[in-house]
Amino acid sequence: MIKVLISKPGLDGHDRGAKVIARALRDAGMEVIYTGIRQTPEQIVQTAIDEDVDILGVSILSGAHMKLVPKILELLKEKGSKIPVFVGGIIPEDDAIELKKLGVIEVYGPGTPTSEIIDKIKGYFENANI
Amino acid sequence: MQISESQIINGISSKDRKSFAKLLSICESDPVAANRIISRLQRKDAHVVGITGSPGVGKSSIINAILSKSSNRRVGVIAVDPSSPFSGGALLGDRIRMQSHATDQNVFIRSFASRGALGGLSPSIFEVCDAFETFDMDMVLIETVGVGQSDTEVANIADTVVLLLSPDGGDEIQMMKAGIMEIADIFVVNKSDNPASISLKTKLEGIIKFGGKDIPVILANSITGDGVEDLIKALDSRFERIKADGTFATKRKKRVFFHAQSFLRRKIDTIMQSIHSEETDIEKIEKELMKKLCSK
Repeated sequence: MIKVLISKPGLDGHDRGAKVIARALRDAGMEVIYTGIRQTPEQIVQTAIDEDVDILGVSILSGAHMKLVPKILELLKEKGSKIPVFVGGIIPEDDAIELKKLGVIEVYGPGTPTSEIIDKIKGYFENANI
Repeated sequence: MQISESQIINGISSKDRKSFAKLLSICESDPVAANRIISRLQRKDAHVVGITGSPGVGKSSIINAILSKSSNRRVGVIAVDPSSPFSGGALLGDRIRMQSHATDQNVFIRSFASRGALGGLSPSIFEVCDAFETFDMDMVLIETVGVGQSDTEVANIADTVVLLLSPDGGDEIQMMKAGIMEIADIFVVNKSDNPASISLKTKLEGIIKFGGKDIPVILANSITGDGVEDLIKALDSRFERIKADGTFATKRKKRVFFHAQSFLRRKIDTIMQSIHSEETDIEKIEKELMKKLCSK
């Protein structure tokens, strides 16, 4: 059973994308926890650790991704957690490359088929043998 | 990431949240290992409170309000949401209402999917509840799935059952029916801003009196926090009373039996899932089940 946390950091309230992904992953047989909107990186990281999730999804449409995502990665590292992180939202290509360099496993923009995200997550855990 | 049983035990003894989070995952994946680990840890009797009621009545919000008003104690929250009977997946959304406590060191919230268990709880609920008692909790709140009239399982595990009602839940005949109305130790009429909640409280008190019982009915508003202090007071005075009059000890003794029952049911369910679902001969299924059950 793959357990996923879908989170929305920062001040943006555009949660349609996060809800669509949460629902699609549910229908793909995963257990999905949703944090709701306007979360701090601290809340998200503590929730991911307490819930012992296998993977963390971060949805951002506000443009603050270069502040919030590195902060989340830093806090995870600080707490000795190796939970993989994927990002979805309005992320310019250059920033996506930068985020991946920092350790984000994938960045999804608008129009990504949900099947692509599901396959990627399932594939990730098949390879990782969890 | 693999982490050994002794690492978990050491971690939990020094209040490490990550180790405790791992133990809760083990409760879900391997009850035998979970029971083994729990038996090696110190346990403290927490007040285990079941919070139950129909979907949308305000269970998560009232828990959030309780957490906001109990900053001086350690509280665990077990939040159960339903699994899909089709995909097996689940959307666990109880936490959304409680996220302001996500970084509160005195609070530990964990979401569980019901994974096919009936009665509004999850298959690992007994192991999970025992586990919370090893993490130095003063109170453990179990939020059931949004339940119907006959989901009474929570009374087997909780020391105290709080039933939440809201003014839009039907007339007094609904309240006179058997089942969930009978397991409540405390009633909460939520959404007190709705004027109909006052007449619901009056009717409910009449029905309780008619049954010859003395069960508190508390009017509350889980969003504003009105009435929540009364609820906490009622919970605390009940905990004192049941510890003094022996009810607590009896309930805990029974809980061990219900735990065994749940453990064995889970074992049978696991075997049933391994039997081919197109088998139509019940006797054959029974034989195979017995064979697999005895071979373990």
